[in-house]
Amino acid sequence: MGRPLIHRSPMPGLGLSMGITLTMLSLVVLLPIGALLLKGATFGIGNIWDTVNRERVWAALFLSFRLSLFAALFNLAFGVLLAWVLVRYRFPGRRILDAAVDLPFALPTAVAGIALTALYAPNGVFGGIAKEIGVKIAYTQWGIFIALIFVGLPFVTRTVQPVVEEIDREVEEASATLGASRLHTLTRVILPMLAPAALTGFALALARAVGEYGSVIFIAGNIPLVTEIAPLLIVIQLEEFNYDAAAAIGIAMLLISFAMLLIINLIQVWSRRRIGYV
Amino acid sequence: MHIEIDEISKLFGATAALHPVSLSLPSGALVALLGPSGSGKTTLLRILGGLEFPTAGRVLFDGQDATGLTVQERRAGFVFQSYALFRHMTVFDNIAYGLNARPRGSRPPAAEIARRVTRLLELIQLPDIGSRFPSQLSGGQRQRVALARALAIEPRMLLLDEPFGALDAKVRKELRQGLRDIHDETGLTTIFVTHDQEEAMELADLVVVMSMGRIEQIGKPADIRARPATQFVRDFISA
Amino acid sequence: MSETRTFTFRPATEETPVVRWLLIGLAVLGIAILVAAPLFVVFAEALAKGVWTAVQSLGNRDALSAIKLTLMIAAISVPLNAAFGIAAAWFITKFDFRGKAFLITLIDLPFSVSPVVAGLCIVLMFGANSLVGGWLVAQGYPIVFALPGIVLATMFVTFPFVARELIPVMIEQGRAEEEAALTLGASGWRTFWTVTLPNIRWALLYGVLLCNARAMGEFGAVAVVSGKIRGQTATMPITIEMLYNEYLSIAAFSMAAVLTALALVTLLLKTALELRHADELAATRRH
Repeated sequence: MGRPLIHRSPMPGLGLSMGITLTMLSLVVLLPIGALLLKGATFGIGNIWDTVNRERVWAALFLSFRLSLFAALFNLAFGVLLAWVLVRYRFPGRRILDAAVDLPFALPTAVAGIALTALYAPNGVFGGIAKEIGVKIAYTQWGIFIALIFVGLPFVTRTVQPVVEEIDREVEEASATLGASRLHTLTRVILPMLAPAALTGFALALARAVGEYGSVIFIAGNIPLVTEIAPLLIVIQLEEFNYDAAAAIGIAMLLISFAMLLIINLIQVWSRRRIGYV
Repeated sequence: MHIEIDEISKLFGATAALHPVSLSLPSGALVALLGPSGSGKTTLLRILGGLEFPTAGRVLFDGQDATGLTVQERRAGFVFQSYALFRHMTVFDNIAYGLNARPRGSRPPAAEIARRVTRLLELIQLPDIGSRFPSQLSGGQRQRVALARALAIEPRMLLLDEPFGALDAKVRKELRQGLRDIHDETGLTTIFVTHDQEEAMELADLVVVMSMGRIEQIGKPADIRARPATQFVRDFISA
Repeated sequence: MSETRTFTFRPATEETPVVRWLLIGLAVLGIAILVAAPLFVVFAEALAKGVWTAVQSLGNRDALSAIKLTLMIAAISVPLNAAFGIAAAWFITKFDFRGKAFLITLIDLPFSVSPVVAGLCIVLMFGANSLVGGWLVAQGYPIVFALPGIVLATMFVTFPFVARELIPVMIEQGRAEEEAALTLGASGWRTFWTVTLPNIRWALLYGVLLCNARAMGEFGAVAVVSGKIRGQTATMPITIEMLYNEYLSIAAFSMAAVLTALALVTLLLKTALELRHADELAATRRH
């Protein structure tokens, strides 16, 4: 062991700050997650598999993941567009638009849930328009898709915005002096520069959407196999005091979350190594 | 290519970056725009490259009015002060960029592009760095790659903004000779901006001394040294 | 020799005006549909039968109890998380130790865990039929289906907010000012109160603001641990759900309007902080 665990430092407060940090982290986050994993361990991997390996659970996990992916893809495109517009263009109302992007972070999910349902239900404003053309939004997968777009909206914009601000104008000019059209510059030079940040935002939006509950359950309709999301299954199992099954599904979702966390980190490592920045 | 600057002026808002200036640069010359910061030299270079538009006046290339040409149409090989290399592309892709950006009809086939990039890498004496990324290069190597990238489009002239500004003294000396060699080999009219009078005097055939948006003196280095036209020039070259 | 120009010059780094206004139009339209419309609907539904009906719906005992409970939860969990955030940021930025990156990952963990799973974890840890929870219930201190459980669940989901805001700011500010204070003979606490805290106050306020908004609005994690006992463990968001499911639309949206107003105030303060103290915040330089 060449490197000491903690380097000596003249700074005061090591014991206190480390104590508070580790105690609260353990009590609030690590021990509860440990309790979930312990529950899973006593329940057994075989039993967990049997619980998860049922049509209704697979359908819910697949639905959550698939719609989250679509919503995150939408937010990827729209978020990059928003970041570009907010940084590069000056127009009346820009500040309001910028602030509005954060509303999904600030608005409670239950409020978003009932508001979106009121909008997209057949007797709502947008739901009524959709009904005219024969589309049902609320209480279908479309409704879930829209709710997941809402909760994931700010992520890509907020990760891409600082990168757009830092683009060196000379790089764009260099592309033009080499004969490239503006479209060519945008697609071949600027978008690749934004890609790592956009992918990070995409992964964050995806992770958020997969676990989302409050804004979805009102608009989803919650029909098993059709519009039932994975977090709802956990709530249902808990309401029946079926802790083992709840833990099994919870562990499956936790694994998905960790996998996505890992992917986010790998994207950052990859982009740092390859391009020298994040 | 012969470049003629005819009564060019440039206003940024209310402030004049360039008072009407006129200048005639013979084909194949190696010209230095010399002056302190704020003298208008970079603005003039950017107007030639099509990156800025003059408030009044004309730019003539070989007698043809080029004032209205877009950046893309100018075909000016431009080397930026920051080099502005595309950091998500390899050196090879950076140099090939201008050729790949051409519309399909006039784009050379891939093998031809590869051949040209290889030749340019040899010209800048860095034949083995094609697969590297800009972040893996030294400052001097980046500058040479930026030069090769500008040359790849077969430019009609070469414009360089403080090409040696970001380099240390030793590399600077080497690269000066490199630019001289490339200029002599390609025969391109070459204009570079500098605030370093020694660099201008040593490298250029023709030096344009600028101050406060005006041209103070135009001449061969030896003539400027022997007969400074104004007090400003006298002070600036003796500094 | 200048002539009049009939063409206009467009800098190489700009799009044509048509493209520019098209993109702005798309951005505004998207935000109008996705964000502004739901916001508008909350107030429209709440005020469907007039202001008085809306206000009245908030005046009954259960509604007042929900508002009180939500305020209490925020009043407990936000200061605790702020204290944690300051301690963690101090520990991480003022000392060098092995496993720092791992510790930061652990602190960020709650952001990638579903709120429902977070609630489930609290139930499994402190529920009546768990080891710890069973003992606490026997001592007369139930956690789950009671205030402590709701506070814990709220703390779990808002755990990283303050630390995440402070760490980048404190890394950027370095240790030199604290070191200077120490060499001048200041004690550790004095250094913290007179040097560190003034430097990080806006970032701290920013983190607390976001933490508070989330704490008062948390639904998924609280839904799992609260037991939804009307007048006792039903927070404002839980009450919104119950009212909505009972088709009491005006009451549900009136309470939602209160939380929406809170969200708007949060955004307003947040924007003001970003405009006035941008260089002292992490958000404006986050990558």
